[in-house]
Amino acid sequence: MKPSTFLESSIKDITLNICNDCRYLKTGYYVSLHAEVLGNSVIPSCENIIDSSRTPILLLRASRAGIPTLPFVVTDSVKKIISELGFPVVVFAVNPFIYDGYKTANNKSALYRAMKSLGMNYKFAVCAQPFKGEITSFKSFFGKCEESEELKKISEKVYDLFKIPICRLHVQKVEGKAFLCGLQPVRAEELSKLDLNIINREVLLFSKQGESFGV
Amino acid sequence: MSKIACFVEKYNFSDHREEAALANFKQAAEERGQEFHFLFREDISDIPRFDAVFIRATTDPLFTSYIVSKTAWELGLKVIDDPESITICANKIHQYELFEKFNVPRIPTMFLNKEELHHKRISDIFDALGKPVVIKAPYTSFSKYVEKAACETSFRDVAKRFFKKSDVLAVQKFTPTAFDWRVGVLNNDVLYVCKYMIPKGRWKHGAKLRGKPTFTWGRTVSMKKVNAPQRLREVALKACSVVGKGLYGVDLKEVDGDYVVVEVNDNPSIYAGYEDLRDKDLYGKIIEYLS
Repeated sequence: MKPSTFLESSIKDITLNICNDCRYLKTGYYVSLHAEVLGNSVIPSCENIIDSSRTPILLLRASRAGIPTLPFVVTDSVKKIISELGFPVVVFAVNPFIYDGYKTANNKSALYRAMKSLGMNYKFAVCAQPFKGEITSFKSFFGKCEESEELKKISEKVYDLFKIPICRLHVQKVEGKAFLCGLQPVRAEELSKLDLNIINREVLLFSKQGESFGV
Repeated sequence: MSKIACFVEKYNFSDHREEAALANFKQAAEERGQEFHFLFREDISDIPRFDAVFIRATTDPLFTSYIVSKTAWELGLKVIDDPESITICANKIHQYELFEKFNVPRIPTMFLNKEELHHKRISDIFDALGKPVVIKAPYTSFSKYVEKAACETSFRDVAKRFFKKSDVLAVQKFTPTAFDWRVGVLNNDVLYVCKYMIPKGRWKHGAKLRGKPTFTWGRTVSMKKVNAPQRLREVALKACSVVGKGLYGVDLKEVDGDYVVVEVNDNPSIYAGYEDLRDKDLYGKIIEYLS
C-alpha cells in the first residue's frame, strides 16, 4: 500500500511501516503516527523513530537494555569533550538532518571542524564517544545482518528494543569487544538487489500473520 | 528536599521579563526549601544528579531539549515538559489527529500530503474551508510558520516552502478574532488565564510589520482565573487531557459564543508581569508539582 493512501485511510490492523525515509517529519514518520492515532500496533513506533535517531537516547536506552555501549558526552563545548574524553574521539550528530552520522577527531582543530559541521554551525549539540578501536558499519534488516556472531547479537537486541526494520548500525570494536555507537537510516539507493530480497522475505514472513503495510 | 534542574539556553535570558520569571521560579523553589539550578547545554551529563527537570528552552524533538527531557524521563526523574508532550505538541499534525479522535472542539482543519499539491485538491480545500485559509507547518511556534493564503498561487508558494521540512501540513479555516485566549494548565488544573491581543490590522499574535525587520507582539491582558468563563476552562482542560498531564498553554478562539481550540502548546511562555499578573501562585504550583 502507498503511504499517501494509508494516511487517508482508517484501517485498523497491525501496521508494518518500511518507508525508506522514516526520519522525523518525513512521510514514514507520519505513517507510523497515523497508525498510532488509529490505535494500531505499529512497527516502528513514533517514539522509537525519534529516539533511535538521537544518538544519546539510543545509547542510554540501549545500555539500560544490556547492549554494550561506551560512555558518551552530550555537549556543544569542545573544552568539555577534551577534558572528559581526551583524544581521539568519535562525534555523532544529535540532529536528524544529517545522513552520514559521525566524524572522528584526533586533535583540537579536527574536533572544532567536526563539531561545526555536525552541530550545523554550533546550533545543535553533539554526542562524543571515545574512539579506541575501529568502527564497523553494517545494514540491519529486521534485526538480521551478515556479520559476526557478536554483531548479530547486537543487531538483534537493537531490533528488539527499537523495532526499526531497516537501518544501518555503527559499532565500535575495542580489544575484540563490540560496542554500539550509532544508528542511521538507509537510503533507498544504498539497498542492493540482495538486500531487497531479504526485506521482501521478511515482509512476507510478517504478512503471513495478516497485516497491511505501507511501502 | 529535592534538587530541581531548570534547563535553559542563552536566549531565555535575552528578555528581561523572562529573566525575571526565571528568578521568580528560583525564589519560589528556595522558599519551599528546594534547590533550583540552571542547567545549560554543556552540563547535560549532570542530569542524573537531580530529582526533577524543568525545561524552559524551546522544545522540539529535534532540539537538545528533547534529549534532556527523554534522558530525565528514562532515569525516572520528574520532568516538565515530558517527552510525550513534546512529541505531541511540537507536531501539530499529531495533535490534530488526536483532537479528531477524541472530539475536541477545534478550528476546522484539513491535512495536506506532499503528493497532493495539485489544482483539484487545492480547490477542494478552498471549497471546504473558504478563502483565505491558514497554512500551518507542524513545527510552528511563536506564530512562525503560520501563513495565510487566499489564492492557489500563494497557497502553492507557502506550501512548497513548508514541505521542505515536513511531508504533511495542516490547513485551517481563517478565523480572525480580536484576541486569542491563553489558558495555562498544569496537571489538569487551570493555572492562569490571559488574552493575547492581536496587533491592529494583523491576524496573529506575533506578526512582522511590513518593511520592518522586527517581530511585534500583541499586548497580553491577564485576568484572574476564577473570572474566566466556565466553558472556556472546560474546553481547555479537555484539550489538555488528550495530550498529557504536564504544563501547557492552550490557545483558544471565541467563535459564535463557543470556544474552539487553536492548539495546545507545551513549554508555554511565562513572562513576569504578563501571564503571572493575576495569579502569582503559578510559580509555587509548578515547583510543588516538580518536588
